[in-house]
Amino acid sequence: MSAVLQNLVNQPYKHGFVTEIESDIAPKGLNEDIIQLISTKKDEPAWLLEFRLKAYEQWLKMEEPKWPNVKYPKIDFQAISYYAAPKPKKKLSSMDEVDPELLRTFEKLGVPMHERAALAGVAVDVIFDSVSVATTYKQKLAEVGIIFCSISEAVHKYPDLVKQYLGTVVPIGDNYYAALNSAVFTDGTFCFIPKGVKCPMDLSTYFRINTEESGQFERTLIIGEEGSSVSYLEGCTAPKFDTNQLHAAVVELVALDNADIKYSTVQNWYAGDENGLGGIYNFVTKRGLAKGVNSRISWTQVETGSAITWKYPSCILQGENSVGEFYSVAVTNHYQQADTGTKMVHIGKNTRSTIVSKGISAGHSNNSYRGLVRIAPTAAGARNYSQCDSMLIGDQCGAHTFPYIQVRNQQAKVEHEASTSKIGEDQLFYFAQRGIGNEEAVSMIINGFCKDVFQQLPMEFAVEATKLLEFKLEGSVG
Amino acid sequence: MSMVTGNSYLDSLLQGQPQLPPSPLAWFNQLRASAVDRVGTLKLPTTRDEDWRFTDITPLAKLSFQPARVISTLQATDLERFYLDEAAIRLVFVDGTYMPQFSTQQGKAGESGLIITDLSAAVPRHAAAIEPHLGRHAGFEDNLFAALNTAFLQHGAVIVAPRNAAVEAPVHVLSVSTQPGAASHPRCLLIAESGSAVTIVEDYVTLGQEGEEAYVTNAVTEIVLKDNAQVDHVRIQRDSTQAFHIGNCAVSLARASRYRSVSVALGARISRYDLNVLLADEGAECTVDGLALISGRQLADTHTCIDHARPSCTSRQAHKCIVDGAGHAVFNGKIVVRAGAQHTDSAQSNRSLLLNAKARVDTKPQLEIFADDVKCAHGATVGQLDNEELFYLESRGLSGLAARNLLTYAFGAEIIDRIPVASLKHRLEQTVLEQTKRN
Repeated sequence: MSAVLQNLVNQPYKHGFVTEIESDIAPKGLNEDIIQLISTKKDEPAWLLEFRLKAYEQWLKMEEPKWPNVKYPKIDFQAISYYAAPKPKKKLSSMDEVDPELLRTFEKLGVPMHERAALAGVAVDVIFDSVSVATTYKQKLAEVGIIFCSISEAVHKYPDLVKQYLGTVVPIGDNYYAALNSAVFTDGTFCFIPKGVKCPMDLSTYFRINTEESGQFERTLIIGEEGSSVSYLEGCTAPKFDTNQLHAAVVELVALDNADIKYSTVQNWYAGDENGLGGIYNFVTKRGLAKGVNSRISWTQVETGSAITWKYPSCILQGENSVGEFYSVAVTNHYQQADTGTKMVHIGKNTRSTIVSKGISAGHSNNSYRGLVRIAPTAAGARNYSQCDSMLIGDQCGAHTFPYIQVRNQQAKVEHEASTSKIGEDQLFYFAQRGIGNEEAVSMIINGFCKDVFQQLPMEFAVEATKLLEFKLEGSVG
Repeated sequence: MSMVTGNSYLDSLLQGQPQLPPSPLAWFNQLRASAVDRVGTLKLPTTRDEDWRFTDITPLAKLSFQPARVISTLQATDLERFYLDEAAIRLVFVDGTYMPQFSTQQGKAGESGLIITDLSAAVPRHAAAIEPHLGRHAGFEDNLFAALNTAFLQHGAVIVAPRNAAVEAPVHVLSVSTQPGAASHPRCLLIAESGSAVTIVEDYVTLGQEGEEAYVTNAVTEIVLKDNAQVDHVRIQRDSTQAFHIGNCAVSLARASRYRSVSVALGARISRYDLNVLLADEGAECTVDGLALISGRQLADTHTCIDHARPSCTSRQAHKCIVDGAGHAVFNGKIVVRAGAQHTDSAQSNRSLLLNAKARVDTKPQLEIFADDVKCAHGATVGQLDNEELFYLESRGLSGLAARNLLTYAFGAEIIDRIPVASLKHRLEQTVLEQTKRN
């Protein structure tokens, strides 16, 4: 059995190929001139340049965080090129005009964009190395007043909205990587759901890191006005490279009164080979502000890729009765390291939050859950329930739990549970008794283990996630 | 937290250290000297240190403390109220100094080989037994307070339970603080030889009145369990609510030994207790329970680390906090399962009860696991008294206040019930009742 399992666990990364597209790359290094260059290239207004420079100034004064439970060689921030754009050809009026090579890339990834968009009713705002190339379904969304475009487009078309919200949830000096992102972000998604509008379809963006050695600094800003609701999907794959690529994204969500934002991620970036060589560094700041009463922010993530994941999608529950949710499956194999979790900051009265985290470690990997539940003195009647379960596959890996619980209000109720387990011989025997082979049994057990989280994913993602997990781990008990 | 933690403060804490009488044994003097060296290189922890993130000890650094003087005016009647009926053996330390006139060792007869004495007397006579353990378990490499205590090594309780001996009566180690403005460094070393069984009660009390000037108690305890040994360890901290109490306890368990501990923190303005349990060989078991009952502006911080270093060990932990007034309880419970420590079975629960709007709890139950065939679970809850439970009691004719008191008492009694010394248990139950009534 174990030979089959070994094979499965050690499947090479399927999506490792490099698309050759002429890139317009900025010289390596980071200084004020580079920031000026990015700003000029993108034809940005003065206030945004100022925002970037201020962030850069703060970043210079900050130190790389040392507290995460991950180890990696020091990053040389001067060896990274901070801007890479596909060479501008001509303005595109339809999908047919998109670079055919680009389209082929997506097909190789199994994301036939136009088909997918048409069949699944998903509008895909394609990010290809930092600059938006094609956007679909924009018109359909525009009919109901939804703005869904790249953030650089939004800077030009809706400067007031961007200016009003950018950096309000994740301030420029929030942390080392958020400051870096604020200084050099090149593109990302902007989404605005006006008052009372329920978004008619799931919004989705496919990210793809391409040019070797170019860090990618995405910036996403989603605003849900009073009574609106939206479900946003983010999926990632990246080609195989031996040098580590840094990815430091910032995602900001703002939910006003009665708004509902659901943000789902499936992350399958290159995790390095079986010896831990290469792979993406994924240092992401994601935060949602449940600003209005009865607002709701829900994060769902399936993290299977990246050499190092350092990510804590958080909710600031400011509005009364606001709700925060975090559902996560994190899978690590080989030498992957994941330090991920969430922060639930309860400020408003009767705010509620739920945390469900499932960690699966295999090979020599280390998987940490790090969470914070803070109940401020003002959060009377706040309620939190957290559950984090770990599964270990093999005796060379590690699973860690660091839940911080800080309660400053006696009327709050906080519960935290954690458990660690493995796939038991008795479980496998039970399946075998019923004629189900080990491999399928393990797959079913792992799916069962992650069910609470997968249920939260939109349909297509749930299917993709299940497949991803099978592909990553199936049969790794031997 | 930009508190000045310059070493001039630490130098002041070390004053009096050079005047300690040197021991005839070179290793003992060496141990002290290396601890003094460590104090010289370490800094007072601040809230920027992860281990002290929620416990701000700047109030401690603002005060200057003198080493405690030896006083001889104390009468037996001053201390009698602290004595335990069951304890045939009692070691009394006043401000860290051994007081033979108040100590008794009635149980000594018939238990040959049982060593119960003061450290200064034990070191020359039982050096072979003590040297491998003293200062070897409670490491002071990066622990300033353990280093300070070790620098001041002189007096302390030394208990060696001989092979296969069951010491029936509990050993009562009573540490009494009497001097405001003084710093004392109580020390305790317990060695349970293979197959032995012993119960130890560490009791930290004060003679001072409430509202008096602060003092510092900086205690270090080392407990060694050899194969199949069994130790019951009760630790009661009822220092003055102006005092600072720092306690470090290191326990090492050999094959199939059993360690059970109940620690109760009632006193001190700021108290910090670090309990490190090393399950160093197969089949060892430990049960580590704790209760912090605080109010006013008290802060009680408990850090525990249960280290499953070898396979097939079991650990159980229940820690509870009852926080009233503007009290602040901190709990950090770490469970480590080392690579290869298969068949580990570990369960931890931490429950906190907040009785006042100003009360505050910071808790972090932490798991670090490097083996796959293990059973580990932890749970933490923070909340107030359950309205339904209150309603149930009220519907049976109890007043609202009585119902609250009863439920609060029951919450704490679960831990106190586990104390194996009846008179102490009873006394603590009374304390909890009084505390709840006062509110």
